Amino acid sequence: MTNHSPTDWKAFFLRFETLLIAVLLAEIIIFSRTAENFVTTGNGLEIIRLSVELGLLALVMTPIILTGGIDLSVGSLLGLCAISFGKLWRDAGLPPVLAAILTLLIGAAAGGLNALLITRLKLPPLIVTLGSFSLFRGLAEAITRGVDNFTGFPPSFLFLGQGYFFGVIPAQLPILVVAAIGFWLLVHRTTFGRSFRAIGFSPEGTRYAGIPVDHRVGLVYVLSGVMAALAALIYVARVGQAKADAGTGYELLAITAVVLGGTSIFGGIGTVHGTLLGLAVLAVLKNGLTLSDMPSELAGILTGVLLLSVLAGEALAQSISRRRKQSPPTPTISTSPKPQT
Amino acid sequence: MQAPPLLQLKGITKSFQAVRALRGVSFDLHGGEVHALLGENGAGKSTLIKVITGAHQPDGGSIEIEGKAIPRIDPASARAMGIAAIYQQPALFPDLTVTENVALGLETPSTTSRIRWAERRTRAQELLKRVGADIDPDTEVRKLSMPEQQLVEIARSLGAGARILIMDEPTASLTQNEVHLLYAVVRDLRTQGVGVIYISHRMEEIFALADRVTVLRDGESIATQDTKGMDESTLIKLMVGREVSSLYPPSETNPAGVTLSVRGLGCNASGVHDVNLDLRAGEIVGFAGIVGAGRTELARVLFGITPADTGTISLDGKGASIQSPREAVEHGIGYVPEDRRRHGVILEMPIATNMTMAIHPTFFPWSWLRFGAERDLANGYIRDLGVKTPSGDVPGGALSGGNQQKVSLARWLATRPKVLILDEPTQGVDVGAKSEIHKIIRRLTNEGLAVMMISSDLAEVLGMSDRIAVMHGGTIVKEFTGTDANPHDVMAAALGQQGSSHENVPASE
Amino acid sequence: MKRYFRELSVLFAFLAILLLLAFRAPEFFQPSQLLSMLCDAVPVLIAACGMTLVIVCRQIDISIGSQFALCSVFAGLTASSGLPMPVVAFVAILCGAAMGAFNGVLVAGLGIPSIVVTLATMVTWREALRWWREGEFVSNLPENFQWFGLSQQVGQITIIGIAILLFLFLAFALKHLSAGRFVYAVGSDKEAARLAGIHPQKVTFAVFVLMGALTGLAALLTAVRFPDVDPKAGQGLELKAIAAAVVGGVAISGGRGYLWGVAAGVLLLSSIAPALVFLHLQPQWEKALQGLIILLAVAADGWRAVRKKD
Repeated sequence: MTNHSPTDWKAFFLRFETLLIAVLLAEIIIFSRTAENFVTTGNGLEIIRLSVELGLLALVMTPIILTGGIDLSVGSLLGLCAISFGKLWRDAGLPPVLAAILTLLIGAAAGGLNALLITRLKLPPLIVTLGSFSLFRGLAEAITRGVDNFTGFPPSFLFLGQGYFFGVIPAQLPILVVAAIGFWLLVHRTTFGRSFRAIGFSPEGTRYAGIPVDHRVGLVYVLSGVMAALAALIYVARVGQAKADAGTGYELLAITAVVLGGTSIFGGIGTVHGTLLGLAVLAVLKNGLTLSDMPSELAGILTGVLLLSVLAGEALAQSISRRRKQSPPTPTISTSPKPQT
Repeated sequence: MQAPPLLQLKGITKSFQAVRALRGVSFDLHGGEVHALLGENGAGKSTLIKVITGAHQPDGGSIEIEGKAIPRIDPASARAMGIAAIYQQPALFPDLTVTENVALGLETPSTTSRIRWAERRTRAQELLKRVGADIDPDTEVRKLSMPEQQLVEIARSLGAGARILIMDEPTASLTQNEVHLLYAVVRDLRTQGVGVIYISHRMEEIFALADRVTVLRDGESIATQDTKGMDESTLIKLMVGREVSSLYPPSETNPAGVTLSVRGLGCNASGVHDVNLDLRAGEIVGFAGIVGAGRTELARVLFGITPADTGTISLDGKGASIQSPREAVEHGIGYVPEDRRRHGVILEMPIATNMTMAIHPTFFPWSWLRFGAERDLANGYIRDLGVKTPSGDVPGGALSGGNQQKVSLARWLATRPKVLILDEPTQGVDVGAKSEIHKIIRRLTNEGLAVMMISSDLAEVLGMSDRIAVMHGGTIVKEFTGTDANPHDVMAAALGQQGSSHENVPASE
Repeated sequence: MKRYFRELSVLFAFLAILLLLAFRAPEFFQPSQLLSMLCDAVPVLIAACGMTLVIVCRQIDISIGSQFALCSVFAGLTASSGLPMPVVAFVAILCGAAMGAFNGVLVAGLGIPSIVVTLATMVTWREALRWWREGEFVSNLPENFQWFGLSQQVGQITIIGIAILLFLFLAFALKHLSAGRFVYAVGSDKEAARLAGIHPQKVTFAVFVLMGALTGLAALLTAVRFPDVDPKAGQGLELKAIAAAVVGGVAISGGRGYLWGVAAGVLLLSSIAPALVFLHLQPQWEKALQGLIILLAVAADGWRAVRKKD
């Protein structure tokens, strides 16, 4: 939290983030024993290189969940944007830069569709983005007829996902760093972040404070679309091909990183640095298991177990402290008082 | 009445964290009597009811039913013992039909037993007829009006075979006719040997219905007496515990020009219509009326939450269109809402954050948070309004009601409004904080603010206002100047009983 | 019948597709085609019934796809070890109920949001199965496993019959048993339910267990249709079930929805794929159309609600 967080939570989050760092350190220590090439600069950068797409999605998922919403459509949109980029470049013959810009616009429009349905028609984000999850992936499959595959992109474009500055720094690293700083500032240092939290705690209360709630909520979903498109470009450049199944399951990984990073699924509480820590825990786990020749499925199992134990621990701690403190008073303010005589 | 009382409470105590809601309440109820429970807001009536229905566990004291000590009550066992409550906010299932709601209120059979819907439907019809409600049992409850929902709830309790029936302000949103019908229902229950705990602020109801009355004040039972031979002023004295005297800061203003002017204002969705109002800088206009009269609804129209669809609003002589709270803020209107826990303060967020919430665009250029400036502003208001808190970093939910109200007030003062709408500014606030808030309001008015003050506390309206507007049925039916108002006339106008200039429209719900 | 507007319009949409097929591709209306389409719809229908209860209770379960896969594998392994068919069925259902109970404890007991709990269990079960079986099919199934040892057509009819009976029973129970009304009560207003003497935690737990058991049954009824058991079966089942429930008029905010509307939703969504094939359109449009139907259905609801307010 920022320096304005209430003290009792500060203590909690200190503990929570300490816990994540402890998990991360434990992973590093274990894998440094089980895998030979684990603790090297090269591998460290490789971990980051492979998690940039997921990182971008997790970063934008943080403000969404802060507002009490969710976006299940980001993985599918990544696929749709990858296909759109391929189509624009190969079949429409546009230069990669123009195709990339148009892809970002498509992402924004797709996010705008979610935003429109959620804010104008007051529909629950879970269902809207479940529908667009299906719609976006379905469009990607329909456009490619399930088989088409775009390859042979020019080296200048592939540099974005495969190139290195000075031979070591992955080309997509600066993008992640800029996005991380940008989202940190947005969430922790601007009135936008304030309003996201406020909406997560109480949308009605926020409206009564004169904050344009619909505008703010719409903004995060449009932003989500743009980030999905950006992630798609990096993904295509890294893998060297664009297929309809690009990004399958990424939405759940992104949500996992965010929730693991201490963001409450009910909204209001959470940090961008927590999300980055959660992302690091997931990425290091996967990489370390691979390098240790351990089954990759363990990563999924451990992620699930970790997520549940963290949340169960939190829930247990809360119920114990609640029992100790007695139940809080239910609001006693009557909403229908009578004139007194 | 020689048998042991139906219900006997002795020395009940209950605390919520630091707040001692009940500090030793004794109360008894016999079969076939109506026992009224009286007390100001925050005196502990709601908590006491929740103890009886098992929603709260008492910290101390004993509960006996028909002479048998009950070690522990939970909602299920309370129902089994024939205790039923009708809350101010109907505890019905909005998505289910009336029949279904009534059925769920009946005995809770084993989970696998079959519900005979035809039987239940007839039963629901009978019960509805018994409370005189003309409602189709197949309607979904969410489609019913508040009074209709209340009648459904009474029907449900009757169906559950309640022996102890608690009615918490059951007439709050009923029309006169419905009230008389309810009287008949209650009297009918009494003859059937049901014990009724009746909570109401309306004195005439208490004298019309109750056999005995118990007065609660600050979590203690002050007195239990027969209503025969009692009079209103004795009761009020018992409730308030002090002589109602010049608690209110005097008015010393000379209202200047008209700040807010409203002509023919109406909003179909919220039932407000034909409102004409002039609010001058430096005056407090008190708004009296019963629940559902449209006072909060009018405030919500002026503040753009439910924008007006007819009429005009002008500020300082210039026409203004207010379609959203944002626009209301830009025009210099502030609104301290009635439900401060839901709308006034974000409980989870620090006080300082709450105070700057309505001034984001002006106070934080380029949307960039200035923590230092925010802290200074918050400390200024904390000092100025006397908010009791260690610092501005404390979450709003940790404060007492009165201090939360000051935070809510500070949020709007920070916008430097021209017009401030206060909705029940001292409801649920303790006596000390109440008079502080009154002084603040008066001071701000003296500095040239135009205040619209909605209050259900008649003494407050009479004491604070330079003028009084009485609303009924969604519009202003009568206005008084500060000097010619007396409680009786204001109340009569609020109840729509007097031959006022407007037609008496029954509550639009 | 304004109250059933939504359910009826979904039913009409389904009938419209049938009508279109009748004119453009009458060859669709062969018993074998129809049986195969209905058989495909059976697991979705059973899972959607469970999901309806979960959503009416104001929860969600996205782990049923993984549960389904685990249950099929357990059923297959039990069958190939030579145990009789009733035991196989019992194992499949019990396995599902156990996984449902695990979700239920975390959601109802500890109060962790169901979306997070079931997200975690979805990943855990799926990966655990992959680790254990490494994608291997369960083969060497006994004679009496596929189609319960009956002929294909009789087997198909049996499966469909079981599903229909189950559906009718659940529809009856939801409306006519107190337990069914408890689910609506808890989803409609938890606090009011508590005041009415219902235990919301018990109801929520029971709903998750039932969801798991139904998933186990759905897995069994799918497994018996094939010579081998596919450990990847059930992928995306959670989305199909949620989609069918939502399209069928179940409100995601809890407390509202009818099972027969959900049945209409299942039929509508299950008819897309065969319709695309028989109308000689690209089958790849299925997912997009499914998404479009979900969005249209909820948008129609939202539109009506917003307009009513103005």
